[in-house]
Order: sequence, then structure tokens, then C-alpha cells
Amino acid sequence: MSWYALPTNVPWLTLAVVIPLSGALLVALTPTVARRVIKQLGVLASAITLLLVLGIIGGFQHGAGNLLQFEEARPWVPAIGISYHLGVDGLSLFLLGLNALLFLIAVLVTNSDTPRLKQFMLLLLILEAATAGILLSLDLILFYVFWEAMLVPLYFLIGVWGEGPRVYAAFKFLIYTVIGSFAMLIAILAVVAITFAQTGQPSFDWTVLVQHPASGVWQLPLNLGTIGIPQLLFLGFALAFAIKMPLFPLHTWLPAAYTAAPLPVVIVLAGLVSKLGAYGFLRFNLSLFPDAAHSLGPALAVLATAGILYGAFMALVQTDLKRLVAYASMSHLGFIGLGIFAGNLLGIEGALVQMVNHGVIIAALFLIVAMIERRTGTRDRAQLRGLGATAPLFAALFLVISLAALGLPGLNGFTGEFLIMLGAWTAFVPMAVGAGIGVILAAWYVLRFYQGSFQEAPPQPAGYGEMRIADAGVLAPLLALMIVVGVSPAFFPAAVEATVKAMPVLLR
Amino acid sequence: MTINLNGIGIDYGAILPELIVTGTAIIVLFLDLLVPARRRGWLAVVSIIGLLGAMVATIPLWGQNRAAFGDTVVADSLAAFFNVLLIVISILTVLISPRFLRALDLDYGEYYVLLLGATAGMMLLAAATSLMTIFLGIELLSISLYVLSGFARTAVRSQESAMKYLLLGGFATGFLLYGMALIYGATGSTTLRGIAAVTTALGAGASSNVLLLLGIGFLSVGLAFKASAAPFHMWTPDVYEGAPTLVTTFMSVATKSAAFAAIGRVFIATFPSIASRWYFPLALIAIFSLFIGNLVAITQDNLKRMLAYSGIAHAGYILLGILPGTAEGFSATLFYIVAYAVMNFGAFAVVTVLGAGGERTAELNYWRGLFYRRPFLATVMTIFMLSLAGIPPTVGFFAKLFVFRALVDAQIWAPLIVAVIMTIVSFYYYLRVVVVMLAAPDEAAVEREPIGISTGTVLGAAAAATIILGIFPAVVLNWATHAASLHF
Repeated sequence: MSWYALPTNVPWLTLAVVIPLSGALLVALTPTVARRVIKQLGVLASAITLLLVLGIIGGFQHGAGNLLQFEEARPWVPAIGISYHLGVDGLSLFLLGLNALLFLIAVLVTNSDTPRLKQFMLLLLILEAATAGILLSLDLILFYVFWEAMLVPLYFLIGVWGEGPRVYAAFKFLIYTVIGSFAMLIAILAVVAITFAQTGQPSFDWTVLVQHPASGVWQLPLNLGTIGIPQLLFLGFALAFAIKMPLFPLHTWLPAAYTAAPLPVVIVLAGLVSKLGAYGFLRFNLSLFPDAAHSLGPALAVLATAGILYGAFMALVQTDLKRLVAYASMSHLGFIGLGIFAGNLLGIEGALVQMVNHGVIIAALFLIVAMIERRTGTRDRAQLRGLGATAPLFAALFLVISLAALGLPGLNGFTGEFLIMLGAWTAFVPMAVGAGIGVILAAWYVLRFYQGSFQEAPPQPAGYGEMRIADAGVLAPLLALMIVVGVSPAFFPAAVEATVKAMPVLLR
Repeated sequence: MTINLNGIGIDYGAILPELIVTGTAIIVLFLDLLVPARRRGWLAVVSIIGLLGAMVATIPLWGQNRAAFGDTVVADSLAAFFNVLLIVISILTVLISPRFLRALDLDYGEYYVLLLGATAGMMLLAAATSLMTIFLGIELLSISLYVLSGFARTAVRSQESAMKYLLLGGFATGFLLYGMALIYGATGSTTLRGIAAVTTALGAGASSNVLLLLGIGFLSVGLAFKASAAPFHMWTPDVYEGAPTLVTTFMSVATKSAAFAAIGRVFIATFPSIASRWYFPLALIAIFSLFIGNLVAITQDNLKRMLAYSGIAHAGYILLGILPGTAEGFSATLFYIVAYAVMNFGAFAVVTVLGAGGERTAELNYWRGLFYRRPFLATVMTIFMLSLAGIPPTVGFFAKLFVFRALVDAQIWAPLIVAVIMTIVSFYYYLRVVVVMLAAPDEAAVEREPIGISTGTVLGAAAAATIILGIFPAVVLNWATHAASLHF
């Protein structure tokens, strides 16, 4: 079913990439001093993109017909089988929506006084085009191009506009990411070479590669034994995605980068870019190497659970609220990883649902932290007290977000976590237990964050006043999503079910 | 390979592009006597007309296979491919020359003569199919470049670089000649076709023929020197830094391209039967170049020296494409050469433009906040840096992709892993330039001068080509595949 049918002769998905890029071009042509125009152009471009993406989501036919829809395929470098192939299915549909929404919010909260606003806005819009491209690409080289294209704006956004040791943070982020990228590139080339040997037709097309899973073993040098080729290639892809996600113990770039990144960037980084790692696992690892996913799944699930607990404990001991939310994000990403590596219907559905939910929640939390910092001048948990006394609306909104973050039924965080726990329980009980402990810890650090900073009597001199309407407006769509998804928990799983059921990893 | 024996004799058509460039050089030499000093810009115009003529003369050679002059040169697609590339580089160089020659007070007609001479030598090298013509081409380009390096007659650095280049270059030429003599001694032939025939006939004996192997070894030293591959790269940073940046811009891309044309003809076309013998030393040279180029580039605070080491590293990447000994690999090499020419020319051209501002402009500190002082230059430089690092959507990405793909398909793992790790390293020093340009501007340095229409056009065209070839690489790849396939 779908709400309506979009005309088929329009390249809708290309537009989702081109509109932010056009916005970036317009920004580039605007004089540096016209700050208001620059910001308005950014808002306009990302708002149009959001409308377009909402149109695509509405026109997507759920549960029937082709799994991949709005496909566009054109030869790109035909000599070696690279094509320009875009498409959207249950894996990417709602992430595309999240992408557009978070970028609109990121642009809206970009301060007009940001130094070198023009370059900032330019990079942010290029980043949006790249992340949209990642979600839409069905050709491995095209995917890689967008994947790398995402890295550069992020590097500059953190390294030039960040706070604290920003150059260090950006460089660490760069090195980690690039190592993962190149492991993936080699794996891409190898998997295509193997398929080429099978079919005699070079192709980097995902839809072709899915039908020809790699097999065989590789003799390690120095008589170190053998390793299955699918496993080896799986690990090549996994390195790139595990670093982006990040999966424990590849997370060490995260606290530095999240803390250094300016607000609009950290919204995108935590809300979206981490999901792209998880998305990569689903799109490539679980689809191209289903056997390897089964044999390596338990080991990765252990890492995911370790990440849940490590992130939760680290969040407990942080005094800097931004770092607290950064570690909370890492802990929640562990849940998503656990669902993915469970490799069953419930786990993957739960992961997909939780990816969208987590994006909404974590963006809201970082916004809250920024709002607190702006009104009090500090992010230190120890110095904050009684903010709620003079700002009841702020307190109420924050409470809803907190409850969503700790997974209260009736709000959006619950559905995904619950499905993931069910999936994990059927796959490996100990990890499900570990994840359960993570849920309890989440309640602890989230509620302590809320109570510590918003309750009790305000210190002297008191009173920062109520939150600004604009701030509430930015949070409004996120809160609306939390509540709507929370009260109709079946919507997302039903929408992605057809795609998940067809995933090769479930067919073996 | 089909041999067109009709063309073995004298065939001026086959070398018409080289003849036109040489003729233009001679015309410019005499025109210089007639043209008054302040009208020397006309020499540039005449040079460009000559080069365009050579370009037109090249087009019919595409798709042919005309051996000529006793099988010492050939007019084939590979030669045509390099002719076009070298002529374009030459034209671009001439286009940005007059303004900066005047700025540096070096506006002499000999500059154009030597530039055209070097171009003719490089074109001859790309078409050479005999040890004699290879030597002729290398000497013609080298001697022209020796003089050009020292063209800033009053600058001590320039003199030093010319002297260094001359001495080390002479040494390398010695190796080259000695290697040629040994190869001739082992095979009794000076034409590549004859040498290939004898080597194949020797069969397994060829791979244990010490005379032949030593000859090939010495020959590779000479060619690797011209391509500035490590460990024969010592001259590169000093010469690149000391020579007038205009000259560096030209020779960093053109010399390397021509040298790799010869390397391709020698190794892939002439000695495929003993590939197992040259594979290892060549792989070692590639790995050395990748290591030394990328690691030392990190420590450089002078853009010209950094780009020199980056050029050494890129010689390593280009060499990687030769290793598989396949058409696929060689076409990747050819594509990489085009990519390198575009992006490295652009990067050095930006340094040239800034260099007109006075001393020390190649120091990285001078580039701080360039985005706000000179946004156009900073933007195009960013594009070139991203491309040199191999970040999509630029041509540098596809260059690396094609080379890596050829290595994966040939299952050559060790050099591939080195290349990948060193590429990661290279991100540091390329992106550092961009970060410096984006950093908060220095109060002291606020200078703004128009860069001129022709320079702006050249820079814009190079930047546009870097992006456009990064989005639509298929056409150039097809040309490269066609040019490479003639050998197999």
C-alpha cells in the first residue's frame, strides 16, 4: 500500500542528492557578508529536501511489489562495470527521512554569528548530499564515493569550527575512518573480482552481487591456516562500518570528536552518521555475506554488548554533559548492533526501528545540552541545579526526551529496544541479559542527568527564565515523532518487514 | 602484434607532431632576435600556435601502428595519447608563463625555445621503439630542463638546482647508456622489437642471462631517475624547490609522464617473457617511492618540497600499474598519468601564482587563511589537494581505484597493502594544506592582486578537469585502454 503514486518519470532520488548540492552552490555564490541570506538558503535547501523525502516516503509502496523502488540505473564506467544505480527500500527509507529532518534541524540551530558561516553552511549542505547518497546508492563504487565524500566535510567541520582540541579530534576521526574506508575499498574490489570470475561480467551493482555470494577459503601465508573468503571480505566491510558506528573497541575517536564538534555537526554525527555504519552492516555485510554473518555474528554481538555496558558505565561517570550524551549514544548504538548481529527478523527489525528512534532522541539530547550550556554557560553536571524551577516548559520537554531515551513504553525508544531484546534473546541469551543491564543503567544516568540539573531548589541568584519559543520549535518535530511512534509502535516494523524478510541472512 | 612493414622506411608523417614542435622551437629562436623586448608575449602566441598544430597532426595517428625510420619510432595510439597529454601540458605552461616571467624578470625568448625542445624530446621518448631514440628523447628533454632549472640566472637557489640536476642527471644518463650497451651486447639489437624477439627466442635462458638482466637493471635506474622514483629521487626536492616554479610546474608532470611512456614500452612490451625477473625490483622501487614520498612529505613545511615528495609518492602509484604486466594495469597507469598531470599541474600553478608575491610564499605559513584573502586560489588548491589525496569526486580517486583494481585482479597483495597504508598517511599532509588555508587569517598579510585572465582560465580549467574527470572518467579510461591495448 502507499498513500499515493508519484510520477515515475522524475528522478526523485537524484533530486534528494542534487537539491542540497544546489543549495551549496547557491551559498558558494552568495557574498560572505550576507549572513542572513546564507542561512536562509541553507534552511530553504534542507526544507525542500525534507519535503521531497516526505513525498518519497508517502509514495513508497509498503509490503507489495518491488522491494527496491524509485530505482534509477545508468552506466557510469561501463568498461569495469560501475553504474549510477540508486534505489530505496525498507532499509533506507526511514533513514532517508531522518537524514533530511536532522539536517534541517542542524541548519536551523546553526548560529548566524558562526565565524566563516558561508564555508560552514557550504560544507553542511555538501555533507547532506553525501549522506543521502550513501543511503540511496546500490552500486558499491557509488556508495564508496559518497562514503568518502562524507568524510571530508566532517573533517573540516570538526577541525575548523570545533571547540577544545579540535584539530586532534578531527585528525583522529579522519585516521580511524580512512583506515576503515580503505579496508572496505579493497574488500569491494575483491568481492567484485570474485563475482567477475563467476559471471564473466564485471559489475559493482549490489543487486547483482547479492545473487552471487562469494565462497571458498584463502590460504594464509606462513602456514597460518586458512580463513574463509566470505569471512575475510565480511571483516573488510565490517571494519569501515564498525568504526563509523562505532563498535567497541573501535570507539576511541568518538568522545573526542563528539565533544569537539559544534552543535549542528554533533547532531548529524551522532544522529545520523553513526546510523550509516549500522546501515552499512545491513546493506552489505548481512546481504552480501550471509554465511559469514552467521559465523561471525556471535563475536560481534559480544562486542556490541560490551559497547552497551562500557558506554553506559562511562556515561555514569561523566561530569561534562556533552560527553555524557556521547557515551549514552555509544551505549544505544550497542543495542542497534546487537539487533543486527542477532541476525533474525525481530533483531533486524528492532535495529531498523531503533536507528530512527535513536537518531531522534540523541539529536534532542544534544540540543538540550546545548540549550543548557547557552543559558548557564557551563556543561558541568556538578554546577547545574534547579533549572526547572523557572522554566517549566523546558523541564517538561526534557522529561519527555529523557523518558524516551531510557525506553519507557509509550514513547519511541521502547519499541526498538524491546524488539532487539526479543531478537537477541532467541539468538544468544547472555548478550540479552547484558543488554538488559544496559537498559537499567540508562535509566540511572538519564534520570540523574534530569534530576540533577532540573530539580531541587535553584541556586542563588536564580532564574534564567523560560526557554525560547524558537528552541521549543526546534524540539517540537522530534518530540512529536517520539510520541507518535511511541503510541503506534507497529507502524515502523510493518513498513520494513517485507524488506527484512527478503534479506539473504534470514534465508539461510 | 601486426607489423606494418611498409612503414619501416622514412615516414615523416609518423613524426610530424615532433617535427612541428621542433620547427616551432627554431622559429621562436629566430623570432626572438626580431621581436622587441616588450613584445615577447608574441613568442608565447607563436609557441601555442605551433603546439596546436602538433596537436592537429597527432589526431590522424590515433589508432594507427606505423613503425618508421628503421623501426626506431612508432606512430601508434600510445604515442598519440602521450603527444596530446604533453602538448596540453605545454600549452597550459606557456599560457601562464608571460605574466610570471615578467614578474620574475626572466622574460627571455630562450625560455619558450627550451620548453618546446623539452616537449619535443618527451614526445619523441613516448614514440621511441629503439634504444637509440629512447636515449635521444631523454637527452633532448634533459638538456632543455637542465638549462630551464637554472633559468633564474641571478638566483643562487636556481643555479644550485640546475647544477645538481645536471650532475646527477649526467650520472643517471651514464647508467642508462651502460644498460643499453649491455642489452645490445646480450641481444644484438637496438630496436625494442628485435630485443623482444631475441628475448623470447632465448626462452628460459633469458631469465638467467646476466648480461641482459644487468642491462635491464641499469636501464631501469636511468628511467626511474627521470620518473623521480625512489631511491633515485634525491635530486627531486632540491631541483623542484630551486627551479623557477613555472619550470617546476612543467617538468614535474611532463617529465614523469614521458618517462612512464618509456617504462611501459620497455617493461610491458619488450620484456613480458621475463616478467618474473623484473617484477620484484620494480615492485621494490614502487614500494620505496610510496614510503619515502609519503612519509617525508609529512615533515615538509614548504609547499614546493611537499609537492616534490608527493610527486615521488605518485611515481610509486603509477609504477604499481605496471606491475601486473597486463593491459588492464597499463591502462590504469595511463589514466593515473593523466590524472596526475591535471591535478599536480594545477597545484604547482597555484604555487606559481602565489610565488609572484615575493619570497617565502611557498612556506606553508604564508598560506594561512588563504580562503579569506584569495578565495579563488584557495578553492582550486583545495580541489587539487583532495584529488592528490584520492578523495572522490575527483579524478585522483578513480586513478587510485583503477590501479588498486588492477592489483586486486592480479592478486598482487603486498604492494597493494603498502599503497593503501601510504594513501592513508598522505591524507594528513594534503588535508593539512586545506586546514591551514581555512584557518583564521593573519592580520599582517592582506594582499590582493589580479591573477590575469589566462592564468585564471588555466587554473579554472585544471580544477574543472579534476572534478569533471572525477565524475565522468569513462571517456579517458576508454582512451587509456585503447592506447594500452596495442602492446598486447
